Amino acid sequence: MNWNAVGIALMLAVGVVYPFILPGYMTVGITILLFVGWATAWDTLGGWTGQVSLGHSFFVGLGAYVVALGQNRYGLAPWWTVLLAIGAAAALAYVWGRITFGLRGPYFTLSTIAFAEIFRLIAINEKWLTGGATGVFIASLPEPFGIDLFSRWTQFYLALAFAIVSVGLVALISSRKLGYELRAVREDENSAMAAGINPTAVKLKAFMLSGALTAVGGGIYGIFLSFLEPHVLFNVLLSVQIALTAIIGGRGTVWGPAVGAVLLVVAGEVFRTTFAQANLLIYGMLILAVVLFLPRGLVGELSRRLVRRRYARSIKS
Amino acid sequence: MPEVLRAEGLSVRFGGVTAVNRVDLKLEEGEILGLIGPNGAGKTTFFNAVTGFLLPDEGRVMMFGRDVTREPPYKRAREGMGRTFQTERPFEELTVLENVLIPAFLKHPSRREAERVAREVLAEVGLGDRADQPAMDLNLARRRRLELARALAIRPKILFLDEIMAGLNPPALREMIALVRQLQDRGLAILMVEHIMEAIIELCDHVIVLASGEKIAEGTPQQVINDSRVVEAYLGTD
Amino acid sequence: MSGDLIPFLQNVANGLLIGGVYALIGVGLTLIFGVMRTINFAHGEFVVLGMYCAIVFNQALGWDPYLSLVIALPAGFLVGVLVQRLVLSIIGDAPEESSLLATLGLSLIIANSLLLTFGGEPKSVLVPYASSTITMAGEVYISVVLLLAGVATVVAIGGLYLLLNRTEIGRAIRGTAENRLGAELVGINTKRVHAMVFGLGTMLAVAAGVALIPLLFASPTTTGGVFTLKAFVVTVLGGLGNIGAAIGGGLLLGVVEVLGASYLTSEYRDAYGLIAFILILLFRPQGLFGRTVQRV
Repeated sequence: MNWNAVGIALMLAVGVVYPFILPGYMTVGITILLFVGWATAWDTLGGWTGQVSLGHSFFVGLGAYVVALGQNRYGLAPWWTVLLAIGAAAALAYVWGRITFGLRGPYFTLSTIAFAEIFRLIAINEKWLTGGATGVFIASLPEPFGIDLFSRWTQFYLALAFAIVSVGLVALISSRKLGYELRAVREDENSAMAAGINPTAVKLKAFMLSGALTAVGGGIYGIFLSFLEPHVLFNVLLSVQIALTAIIGGRGTVWGPAVGAVLLVVAGEVFRTTFAQANLLIYGMLILAVVLFLPRGLVGELSRRLVRRRYARSIKS
Repeated sequence: MPEVLRAEGLSVRFGGVTAVNRVDLKLEEGEILGLIGPNGAGKTTFFNAVTGFLLPDEGRVMMFGRDVTREPPYKRAREGMGRTFQTERPFEELTVLENVLIPAFLKHPSRREAERVAREVLAEVGLGDRADQPAMDLNLARRRRLELARALAIRPKILFLDEIMAGLNPPALREMIALVRQLQDRGLAILMVEHIMEAIIELCDHVIVLASGEKIAEGTPQQVINDSRVVEAYLGTD
Repeated sequence: MSGDLIPFLQNVANGLLIGGVYALIGVGLTLIFGVMRTINFAHGEFVVLGMYCAIVFNQALGWDPYLSLVIALPAGFLVGVLVQRLVLSIIGDAPEESSLLATLGLSLIIANSLLLTFGGEPKSVLVPYASSTITMAGEVYISVVLLLAGVATVVAIGGLYLLLNRTEIGRAIRGTAENRLGAELVGINTKRVHAMVFGLGTMLAVAAGVALIPLLFASPTTTGGVFTLKAFVVTVLGGLGNIGAAIGGGLLLGVVEVLGASYLTSEYRDAYGLIAFILILLFRPQGLFGRTVQRV
């Protein structure tokens, strides 16, 4: 029984009917789906490969700006600019990773924060590149087959597609060579090398995949916002949210980040009514809880217990 | 027999300390070569230099006639070098099967093929029934066999064993010795670093002794054990 | 010639004084890392706590920020000890990543709690002497606020030096930093040392916050991150775990920022420190003076 396929089918089914059942909650729905996609994309680097990045909002901003500026300045439709964003993200991730992969764990993380901050400053100050701090407004978008890209319904289905592709990709690689190479590198680089794996090449692949996927979500996010400001898109808090979503949900699992996204976005919305802006409070409390009591995240702890139980049962028979 | 591995004048220095000093070594096809010496003799350092986990300061390493001195370990793995680690490092979070699957992917990129090979290797080392157990739950003897399985899954031509017998109780030790003998019968050349003399005497065709980073003796196990320099080296360094 | 020299000296002076406060923040962080191997991502939030402490007492009782140190310092110490006891000690010897994530969680909790309590509007403290200056060598103007910050820094670091080198506790701390197991073997209560050190580190951060608040506006959710990042830049510049080097790193950062903003483009003021940070992580991971970050 391929549970991953079942899960994705379920996601598709729920996603397709959602706008009809909860038409008043489209923004929440889009947010959930974007975070499912982003957290899962982040996790290919942060969970499967074990390199915690707190700079992923850079890729979000990259995707959003490439789509927006491509449309505004060159009249390029989003389906072309998204491809461009993927290429740019992969290329930048390659360079970024090449430079920083020599750094051990927490120091790599610190470097991602520093890099993302530098990019944010560039985005704010280089008007010729990004329109500066005043932001960029997407005035018009093409209408493929008469579909209105500004409509929340369209954006929802785009985000749904993004989330499904993200989770689907991870599900695919999880049982294949690449998925295992990632985990081997995370667990022990020396053993991985002894098994014929080139750790740097693997980490770079993960970074490029992670960045490119995140940028796709960023492009959709850009269309959703339609008004882009650097401090919103290249925000370290967004990076932190994405990372924590994956960690709380469960790193290195196919569904952990998705579960984390649903949980945290919904909880955030619930908190928003009582705590206004401080919905990140719940992220703080949950990550503490996870570090102290559930180090593998919700889904991670659950699946570990299942694996043990399955093995125990198999030797009894 | 043709030569599969050669180290020439290998030296490794750390800061001011010379851990390995101009050591030569030659391994022939189908041979089991033992590397022994008192603690701190530089065996592990030498071992790491020969397998590519350390860059030597002097000397060369040749595998099948090719100079591999500067080649990273993962390239050498593709060319037939398999090694175990002294502090066994299984991929803790994964199952026994998955641990062996990973190296199996090297020569068999398809999941189905790799899994078939992995199960074969597990059966060979006697872990077939533990395939779905989380690696972190294994006891010492089984972890050792898992280490061996991982090295075997890449279909090596040369096997490098780093103190694989250490800490095993007598029955487990006998099993491991028999296993290594089987591997030699299959045509593998083996270089083993060891402290357990029983294994050295039973398995090795040839032995090299290191002390304070230098080769002080070599020969058959019997010759070496009776060599006064060797005895002195072991007793002297306490 | 002297026309260029004065502004330059001015900048260097300003840079050193503000660098002193950065040093204070960095020393706290590096002390914590040096003794406990903990990467304290919440360090900047403690600076912000100090700021809000000063703000509260200023608004409620009209106190000068330095007066509120009377409350802020012990409170900062206490909060630090509590955090260490209740949260960090549970993580214990787990990999550094755990302490990074745990303190990240803490920073979110602190920042958002402040947001809930005080609202999002940036706040500051306006002291009566905010625009006063003192002239040195006839032509170099030093702001009194900055000067006071410099004095506070010297006093604090001087006090720390005395504590570490002339007291029993200081010896225990240094012993634990060098070798935890060894320290325990000679009877040092390392658990208590850890709690103390964390308390000391946060206390220094709080003091820095108090010294800084007359100079800038504090915003509950963003200011903390800024100072955490600066603290890391400072400690890496100097070498994690090396106090003397953290002082040097702090002063250097202050000067680099001020000079960079004056002579190069000022919008990238923060970027210079970040670039230096990355360069050092990559090429001289042991810091300019010390030795700690390990490369793979």
